[in-house]
Amino acid sequence: MTSISDIALVTQVAVFHNKQAFDQLVRKYQSPVRRFFLNQTLGNEQLSDDLAQETFIKAYMNIGKFRGMSSFSTWLMRIAYNVYYDDVRARKQTYDIEDSGALRKSANTSDQNTKMDIHAAMALLKPDERTCITLQLIDGYPIDQISKITGIPENTVKSHLKRGKDKMANYLRENGYGG
Amino acid sequence: MEDKNDILLKQLFEQAAQQQIEDNGFTERVMANLPERSGYSVRTLSRLWTMFCLIIGVLIFWLASGYSLLEGMLTGAKQMVMTTIEVFLLTAPTTEIQVNPWVLVLVAGFVLIFLPYQTFRKLSATL
Repeated sequence: MTSISDIALVTQVAVFHNKQAFDQLVRKYQSPVRRFFLNQTLGNEQLSDDLAQETFIKAYMNIGKFRGMSSFSTWLMRIAYNVYYDDVRARKQTYDIEDSGALRKSANTSDQNTKMDIHAAMALLKPDERTCITLQLIDGYPIDQISKITGIPENTVKSHLKRGKDKMANYLRENGYGG
Repeated sequence: MEDKNDILLKQLFEQAAQQQIEDNGFTERVMANLPERSGYSVRTLSRLWTMFCLIIGVLIFWLASGYSLLEGMLTGAKQMVMTTIEVFLLTAPTTEIQVNPWVLVLVAGFVLIFLPYQTFRKLSATL
């Protein structure tokens, strides 16, 4: 369930069109939302910020539809997920090629940079697997919440997690991690 | 139970999970790009129009000595209600009214189920 302060802020925005209250919500949630996009786009800061901005604008425009049945952060992450998938669909032709090639190369040249290696390993994953992995391992959401955010059934989320983890772990072991 | 993959990934993702991204003007950029919410200007106009009509109504009421008119109407209404009750009391014992039990069930259902449901739905939509 959503916290009292979030409900109060959302009510202020939805009923009284209080932009100051929305400012507080953006400040509170900008970090997890931008981090989510940063991981989905494999470290592309410019694109992450553009998508995060689009997410908050959509949240503002649709805040009247928030019913408080789930937490505000879950609702916001669901919007973020939809924004990301709209972008993936729009870039379908070039996205995967851009990601995997460029990032794997940079990971090989800077193998001490764990962050780059993680991004390189994530580049091997399908978008759904990547989303499930980051939502669980970085944002700490349990499987039922991941299912709510993505709209993917729980069993499929589990499969994505299993496959994604196997691919990443194999790649990372090949690159000297985990001993 | 956690397998080796889980342990390895948890170790590697530990740092990433704690990463906090500094705002660095992001919130200001979002706030600067917020569009006017559709319906907001319409709602504002609607409120202004209601306020305008209310003021005009009060003015007309005051200029046309609306109080005495209202008093006359209330007196007339009171007399009408009294007459209706009087007629009902006089005729009720001798009048047999046929009531369809299904109509009663429908009315009871409307009052006991539909109205509370609609009220709850509208309240939860507002909150």
